[in-house]
Amino acid sequence: MRLRVNLASNWLLDTEMREYPPGEPVDFCIVGTGAGGAVLAQRLARYGFSVVALEAGPWHDSETDMVSDEAGSGRLYWNDLRITGGTEPLELGANNSGRGVGGSTVHYAAFCPRLHPSDFRARTLDDVATDWPLAYAELEPYYAAMEREYPVSGPAHWPWGKPHGYPYAPLEAGTAGQMLVKGCVRLGIPVAAGGPVGIPAGRVGKRPHCIMRGFCLLGCKVGAKSSMHVTHIPDAIEHGAEIRTDCLAYEVVVDNHGFATGVRYLRTDSGGGVHDETQQARAVVVAGYAIETPRLLLNSASGRFPDGLANSSGLVGRFLMAQAAPVVWGRFPFMIRQYKAPPACASTEEFYETDRRNDFVRGYSLQSVSPLPIAMSHLITDEGGLFGDELLRAMQDYNHYACVGVLGEILPDERNFVSLHPTVKDQYGLPVPHVHFNLFDNDRRLMDAGVGRARTVLEAAGATETHWVPRYAHLVGTCRMGFTPEDSVVDRYLRSWDVPNLFVCDGSVLPTQGSANPALTISALAARTADWIRDAAPRGELRRRPDFAVPGDC
Amino acid sequence: MIPDRYPDAEILAQRGHWDRATREVVLDRVTNIPEFRFFNDGERRTLEALCACVVPQDSRPPERCVAIAPWIDQRCHEALLDGFRFDDMPDERESWRAGLAGLDETAGELFQHAFADLTDDQRRTVLQAIDGGESPGDVWGRLPPRRWWRQFALRQIVAVYYSHPYAWNQIGFGGPAYPRGYASLNHGATEPWEPREVEGDGSGENREDWR
Repeated sequence: MRLRVNLASNWLLDTEMREYPPGEPVDFCIVGTGAGGAVLAQRLARYGFSVVALEAGPWHDSETDMVSDEAGSGRLYWNDLRITGGTEPLELGANNSGRGVGGSTVHYAAFCPRLHPSDFRARTLDDVATDWPLAYAELEPYYAAMEREYPVSGPAHWPWGKPHGYPYAPLEAGTAGQMLVKGCVRLGIPVAAGGPVGIPAGRVGKRPHCIMRGFCLLGCKVGAKSSMHVTHIPDAIEHGAEIRTDCLAYEVVVDNHGFATGVRYLRTDSGGGVHDETQQARAVVVAGYAIETPRLLLNSASGRFPDGLANSSGLVGRFLMAQAAPVVWGRFPFMIRQYKAPPACASTEEFYETDRRNDFVRGYSLQSVSPLPIAMSHLITDEGGLFGDELLRAMQDYNHYACVGVLGEILPDERNFVSLHPTVKDQYGLPVPHVHFNLFDNDRRLMDAGVGRARTVLEAAGATETHWVPRYAHLVGTCRMGFTPEDSVVDRYLRSWDVPNLFVCDGSVLPTQGSANPALTISALAARTADWIRDAAPRGELRRRPDFAVPGDC
Repeated sequence: MIPDRYPDAEILAQRGHWDRATREVVLDRVTNIPEFRFFNDGERRTLEALCACVVPQDSRPPERCVAIAPWIDQRCHEALLDGFRFDDMPDERESWRAGLAGLDETAGELFQHAFADLTDDQRRTVLQAIDGGESPGDVWGRLPPRRWWRQFALRQIVAVYYSHPYAWNQIGFGGPAYPRGYASLNHGATEPWEPREVEGDGSGENREDWR
């Protein structure tokens, strides 16, 4: 089919996209086109496999569908009903999973840090959570590859975790980000400006450089930000993958031998008509975000898999994590104008690692954030319930605020999970996800420490008053990878223990989440899995159940 | 009434510099205010009183006031969702209906009048009781009062208000900036076309005395 969509200023993708008949099996049917699904689709297409990627949402044309406007950008988000509960019910919708080609990378801030080596060994080092079934060193080359391919801007020397440098020069910081830098410098805290951020400081191919408009979270009209629909998706199409939009997957189909044979989905046509179709496939990849991925697997229950697909461990949906992401803001006597320049531009990981002097384990990062007016008003109303003249006065200080985001590790806990709601159905009659999220002692202490640190940084930079509210971001963990079929949903190559030709390739697989924004890690894992598939599929391994990894092997 | 700190601001004057899609979305918000289709007359009165309490606009000329309640009515009518609901709250439409009834119920218990017929101070007392989780009335036994107020009603009202260019004028926000972008990134500098803040707060008072 002919595809015509604006991806950036002066970049109209006008190309012939290959189409596969749903009734004939393709090598891979991938559900989702975000940081995991898109990279996997691109790699597998390049390796010569036939690939169909189902995307629940549409293409977001940068000229006609994206706007420089907070309230007008709701189409970028997953707005179908989800129900949220627990001690700290997560706000869903905006600010987590996306809908449309590129998934949540369309509206992410584009902070692209790596995890630290210690994140892969939390059980060994800190006696909490779990170790990963792979080591940092195994992911390292894929991190470097993704930093080149996104690409990522940042300092030539990044001192935290395993030190490394970035392929693109640091991106210019706005005044708000400069306040984080200034505060840290005055306190003697090492800090980095200009990345790591997936907004290259310069033109890349058909993507223009950033114009510093500050609307990153509403989709980048410029095409400067490294979202999957301008990075890996066009390359996937060029190599023969089909991106099938407006297709909501609702069941992974399995045969009598326990192999996946395809995906059932509901395709909405341009007139609003809904068609129930099935894409046949020799292997299936679920990459739909940490809520919709377990939902799809649980909704794929059958006689052979009565508790949901790939769920012999009972862990599908379990160990949901979100990072603690409280926002701290300071009022400065001088002008900041925080809406200018990308919000993601400065950070410190000086408090990332476990410090025995703390009353908690693991740690947090501090990052620049710069809410636009509606988001700022919600910080203010959430904090003190302000309304009336008090609210209007506090908001009149909008241009005097600079914000710091704490990004803190929340430990995995089985009591945080996604399940199917027993009674509530969506517009298609499918059970909706019920998200349960609770904070525990270590999480609260860590968050308090991060907030306190952010306040001292803002005060050191000159803030005359500081405020904060709790926030959470980056949901992951609901189909964890691990060592055995009993302790996890997928193995170290993201393959289901139960269904040998079924993969999960998104943030759901993370056993822990560190204090780094997850996109780059998800993409790196996808690239690693693609390489394994390239070698393993010809050996017939997708027809055999995975071998166990032995803890300590890596 | 709060003093004006950006008296010269008129972000809409920049609309010729905005891309077409953005311009259409923002101008539509200014000029095409929807009719009420969801709430009945009584609910509408309560909702308008609530919006006026959250965002006082009485000293503005009527043509410069930001309509808020019609957009909430439209959300409910068109069932536009935020993508989630709290498991201790009913769906969005029911939450609005129940909460507005709760405002009247609490107003009746405390002041023997409907919420819309209260003085501004009395309205604040009602809202503070709800915020504190101590509001009398049957509704608040079924609807968690503070969550309804802070995480639902208050959020939606301020989101409508701060989506409007007149509200952007009030806070000195530069507004949409594609394809022009921003060039003055350091020291909180203004672009040549951006509104400047008056010295102090425009009232002759020191801003630092406000809190």
